Amino acid sequence: MRHDAILTVRVAQIHQETPVVKRFTLVPVGTDRLPPFSAGAHITTYAAFDGRVLERNYSLCNHPGTRNVYEIAIRRSDNGQGGSAGWHHHIRVGDTVHISPPKNHFPLSQRARHHVFLAAGIGITPFLSMMAELRARNGLFELHYAAPSRSYCAFREVIETSYPESRFYFSEEGMRLSPNVLCGAKVGTHVYICGPSSFIEAFSQQAEAMGFPKSNIHAERFTAPTPENPRPFRVTLRKSGRDVEVAAHETLLAALLRAGVRVRYACRAGGCGTCELGVVEGEVEHRDVYLTDEEKAANTSIIACVSRAAGDRLVLDL
Amino acid sequence: MMALQQRFPFPLEENSYFYSNNLKPLQPPCCIQLTTEYFHEVAEKRRLLANHPERCFHALPGTLAAQWEVVDEIVHQLVDTYPDCFTLENRGDEWTFRNLLLNETEQFTFGDSSTLPVQPLDWIGRHVQEDLLLMVQRDDDLHLEAGQLCFPSAWSLTFDLGMAFHEIHRPVPWNHELAEKIRRFLLRVEAGKPWTRVNWAMHVGRRLDLSPEAFHEWGPARYQVSSENVADEVQFRVEEQCVLRLPGSNALLFSIHTYLKSVGELSQNPDWAQKLHSVLVTLPEQVAAYKGLTAYRAQVIEYLERCQ
Ligand code: HEM
Ligand code: FES
Repeated sequence: MRHDAILTVRVAQIHQETPVVKRFTLVPVGTDRLPPFSAGAHITTYAAFDGRVLERNYSLCNHPGTRNVYEIAIRRSDNGQGGSAGWHHHIRVGDTVHISPPKNHFPLSQRARHHVFLAAGIGITPFLSMMAELRARNGLFELHYAAPSRSYCAFREVIETSYPESRFYFSEEGMRLSPNVLCGAKVGTHVYICGPSSFIEAFSQQAEAMGFPKSNIHAERFTAPTPENPRPFRVTLRKSGRDVEVAAHETLLAALLRAGVRVRYACRAGGCGTCELGVVEGEVEHRDVYLTDEEKAANTSIIACVSRAAGDRLVLDL
Repeated sequence: MMALQQRFPFPLEENSYFYSNNLKPLQPPCCIQLTTEYFHEVAEKRRLLANHPERCFHALPGTLAAQWEVVDEIVHQLVDTYPDCFTLENRGDEWTFRNLLLNETEQFTFGDSSTLPVQPLDWIGRHVQEDLLLMVQRDDDLHLEAGQLCFPSAWSLTFDLGMAFHEIHRPVPWNHELAEKIRRFLLRVEAGKPWTRVNWAMHVGRRLDLSPEAFHEWGPARYQVSSENVADEVQFRVEEQCVLRLPGSNALLFSIHTYLKSVGELSQNPDWAQKLHSVLVTLPEQVAAYKGLTAYRAQVIEYLERCQ
């Protein structure tokens, strides 16, 4: 990584993988090198459509050994809205876009003796770099990949050629990927799940029910992108009964400090957890990197320096 | 040539001290500081590496790729931040690195360790004042798997090599909940978003190398502090640390730049003297003991009071 946490890349190629999936090849601009990445990594793209910058996370799907090229595959979303539609309809070869350096929240286990990959639809993408990595170091793995049909199955040909032992499940042909594929897994098997959240929930629960230790179950969940337009909201402090208004342009932490409420803080970047506050009522839109997914789902605390209310109001345990 | 900077990141912000997750975003994102002590400290590092290689450098097998990433990262930080002091010419993987301060040139093939005189992490560490440690991330934990450590604050790389974050920090008198918060935070550190913090301790005698292996050389001095020598002999030691993610290996680089000021020098700044005084008066005994200052705390407090 060089100095700037934002990299500029050029779209060198666009390849239509299926009627709804395009693969974009990105190369560096103004330098000859892109930071290296590890298997399972993703980038955040900041592409501007109609003057709005949309942040989206996409897994890198090329071989981690390839240097100075990133590939991402994007499925056009069904409602034709948002970032994926922008990428499909507006991005042309030669365009430049801004991206983050590679991040990896879905690394391969180094302890696993066998890796089982469960993919649904475009959830295949992180597994492409993981399988390439494992193949290069002779790791043992198997892929189970659910897709609507043969022609709507992105990367089918590459996978059939490179990893012929992979299993495909085409729902239009009446085939279903079921948790039974995990039956009889040997000790030391790790399961990786990527796809729609319903798929992730169902298969993680099943794997746990089948006796997989939690540490052997890995799911790709991207951190929520920074919402484009922060909205104002009100917080009520339960103990003092006071209300504090948080304006659109300020953070909850800033509003509380402005109102004279004593809140400890350190990093002011959602990382250290110092400014964590208890939430009694109201839903939180978590934007920190500190709380675990479970803690975020529990909705019992908020990281005041970056996170906001999902609705109009929060009641804090203050 | 660019002047080397005078720098002393005074760490105490309040009148009391307690352990906390005090990491802040590193701005600008460069973890290398060139200070007026550059020549002296780099020479001292190289002397220690020559005389005590077994305590100053260790790397477990499997860390070479990450070590090269450290070279890539630090060389680019150096040439981008201090272009008057360091240059890089590269044709593909053929690199020529020049250290203009020391008038040294190194030509090597990036990624080919046989083209460097020592391991990559050891090599780049010989051009900077910082100690450099590599924390490898595996299965949701961080392990110390390689490091160049010349100026330890009373800990041993040989002893800690291979240990996970919590094992390394076992001697620290903090609560486990805080340690776990910090560990979890570190697992999520992202490339391009480095962090920094300062740590402090005190010791007696002006030296950077406080290896436990050499305890007999520096340890006993703590019992020889008197009101005559307290100002010059007792050192306030600050470690400026940075953490950054290496995206290719998914490892963390942890850098430590150590600064010393004698209590006498420090008391030239009334605000620093006042803060240190309040902190020393209120510091819990356990923390004082851990930081090695129990034996002479009273003398330092008394000295700072005399200065006010
Ligand atoms: C990730 C790389 C890190 C490494 C390799 C590391 C290593 C160490 C070591 C070796 C010690 C001395 C332990 C002993 O007495 O034997 C120490 C102490 C300590 N570390 Fe870390 N550490 C790291 C990160 C951090 C971070 C991120 C924090 C806080 C945010 C932290 C907070 C502390 C504190 C508070 C002490 C006690 C220092 C004192 O009171 O003087 N460390 N660390
Ligand atoms: S101040 Fe660090 S997370 Fe809010």
